[in-house]
Amino acid sequence: MAVPLISTAVIGHKFGPYEVTIPVERANAYAKAVGGDESPDYGDSLAPIMLVAAVLTELIEDLGLFSGGLQTIHAGQEASWARPVKIGEKIDANGRLASNSVRRDNHFATVSVSYIDSTGSEIGTSSTTIIVSGEKS
Amino acid sequence: MTTNNSQRNTGDILTGFERQITQDRVDAYAEASGDHNPIHLNEKYAATTQFGTRIAHGMLSLALVTEMLAAEFPNTWHDGGKLKVRFSAPVFPGEIVRTYGEITALNEKDGELIAICTIGCKTADGRDAVVGRATVRLE
Repeated sequence: MAVPLISTAVIGHKFGPYEVTIPVERANAYAKAVGGDESPDYGDSLAPIMLVAAVLTELIEDLGLFSGGLQTIHAGQEASWARPVKIGEKIDANGRLASNSVRRDNHFATVSVSYIDSTGSEIGTSSTTIIVSGEKS
Repeated sequence: MTTNNSQRNTGDILTGFERQITQDRVDAYAEASGDHNPIHLNEKYAATTQFGTRIAHGMLSLALVTEMLAAEFPNTWHDGGKLKVRFSAPVFPGEIVRTYGEITALNEKDGELIAICTIGCKTADGRDAVVGRATVRLE
């Protein structure tokens, strides 16, 4: 089995850029998962946290966390938004490993992400902290 | 619920809601997010993990909390909102969670009024699933 990137990546390691576009089908799946009578009408926009989730999936894959034997806990999440995101809008997500330490055989890693629109403006940021166990390093 | 923001005060309770996290919702969230980790979807695999059964995506629970914020602050949450949370406990399919929030401070910054809120969601038996803080501009 290949050594997962979480074992070797150093602080500052860059991820992506991931080109993320959420089509209407995925927006509808999100509404099915999350929605209810109280839900706001987003119109042609997305809940921005959905974009964070989509990029998080890419990060987990790139970090090798789907490797057999690893167990990953999503411990913390930060996010901020400057404006709504449209369904179908192309966003580039640039990730950076902000911290990566080992304590008691558990990896503690934080990845920061900047979300950039087609004009080059940053429209949001996020920071994800994960704990990985079961890794033989 | 929407409220004229001039009426906002420290101590105001945000309007939470309950949602049952069914496996259908977890499956739909996997489609939406692209996160098909078997710990969320495959009971046989999940039985081998520390949780012993499938768990909902933490981001699904957080999404419910942000639904509350979007409903409470419809014009500003997606336009300058910030959050910081930790995932305290897993939510298992079939469980009911309730979102909650409270305005704990109102600050003025650059001529705008900013609400600081404690936010989160709990399971029906009182376990904290998501705990944190949100910052949102008031109109």
